Amino acid sequence: MNSFEGHIAAIEVSGNMSLVTISVDQKQTLKAIVIETTETASYLKNGSPVHVLFKETEVVIGSTKNHEISLQNRIPGTINHIEKGLLLSKLEIQTKVGIIRSIISTAAVLQLGLKKGKEVIAMIKLNELMLSP
Amino acid sequence: MIELNFHKKLLGAEGEMLLKIELNIQKGALITLYGPSGAGKTSCLRILSGLLKPDRGSIKVHDTYWFDSDQKINRSPQERATGMVFQDYALFPNMTVRENLEFALRKGQTKNIIEDLIEVVELGDLQNRNPETLSGGQKQRVAFARALVQKPEILLLDEPLAALDVKIRLKLQSYIYKVHKEFGLTTILISHDIGEIVKLSDQVVVLEHGKIVKKGSPQEIFINKHLSGKFQFTGEVIAIDKEEVVYIVTVLIHNSIIKVVADSSEIKDLNPGDKVVVASKAFNPILYKIE
Repeated sequence: MNSFEGHIAAIEVSGNMSLVTISVDQKQTLKAIVIETTETASYLKNGSPVHVLFKETEVVIGSTKNHEISLQNRIPGTINHIEKGLLLSKLEIQTKVGIIRSIISTAAVLQLGLKKGKEVIAMIKLNELMLSP
Repeated sequence: MIELNFHKKLLGAEGEMLLKIELNIQKGALITLYGPSGAGKTSCLRILSGLLKPDRGSIKVHDTYWFDSDQKINRSPQERATGMVFQDYALFPNMTVRENLEFALRKGQTKNIIEDLIEVVELGDLQNRNPETLSGGQKQRVAFARALVQKPEILLLDEPLAALDVKIRLKLQSYIYKVHKEFGLTTILISHDIGEIVKLSDQVVVLEHGKIVKKGSPQEIFINKHLSGKFQFTGEVIAIDKEEVVYIVTVLIHNSIIKVVADSSEIKDLNPGDKVVVASKAFNPILYKIE
């Protein structure tokens, strides 16, 4: 599980759902959609500290080329380690906010020519982020 | 209301331990004592039933003192209205099911209760059989019925279902619930089975080293409210297997076996037998209608 500490920067509520923006550092924000509101979860407050959790298997890796894609959570970084299995590979990406681990198919690693030192963008769908105070 | 306020020095596996209990239990509640072995759970039940004497304190049941060290009150086990069921059934092998129940009758007590119990716990077809011809689950039903013959105020259950397989356990849980409600009992259960605890109890009291460390509803104790994931279950780790760059963790949730893919960082402190919260976002699961 990837885990980052941040602060809630914005909350947009509609019905029982909230779109929460978390600033992990000054330049990096992440967005999460949760089935909670400011009324049901006491930690949903502007400025509140919060942990952002997401599974390694939900981290999508893109090359740094500008491509059109719906994923809004994008964290640039550099690969500092790859552990290759026959089917799956585990990547460790050094970013400005810390290490992100990603598990993707080994075929994708080969296709994108991923190796240590290569710059990539780690991306996570906003419904894959879990929050914990 | 049952008001417990006592302490007792116990000699445990790890030396001396002070059991210190301050707890009020509502009449009609089903509460579970939860905690590691040697925390003092069974001693609590023995103290309530009068088999073990506290060093100091009091036990007050619906405004009557069963024990009070200051007033030198200490009712004998026979004078306390408790029924107890353990993991082993302790039935008399040379008596039929019905005779086992009748043997528990108080002097002069009418036999009406036996008929009621045979009906509620569904022992009709078994009443003339000897215990050794019964399955584990059937024996435990007889033990339950026997514990209720004297119409106790408090039913004390010390891991009564731990030795039974999952299917029988689920069935007997329903009996416990039914009997608890129908006889208006206040029940104290010791259990390690979180599914069972969540299903049966109104309140969970967590004991560690003889002290109450946490109290609350099963949801408050076992479900992690501090995680925004809405798809949450509590289960027990059965196995952890490495597959290529990931681990596959097998978890028993209630009576279902599920598998979770985990990274090495997640399984670092995890061992088979550990209790875990399995959480996912409400966005991930799919629903598939079965006929």
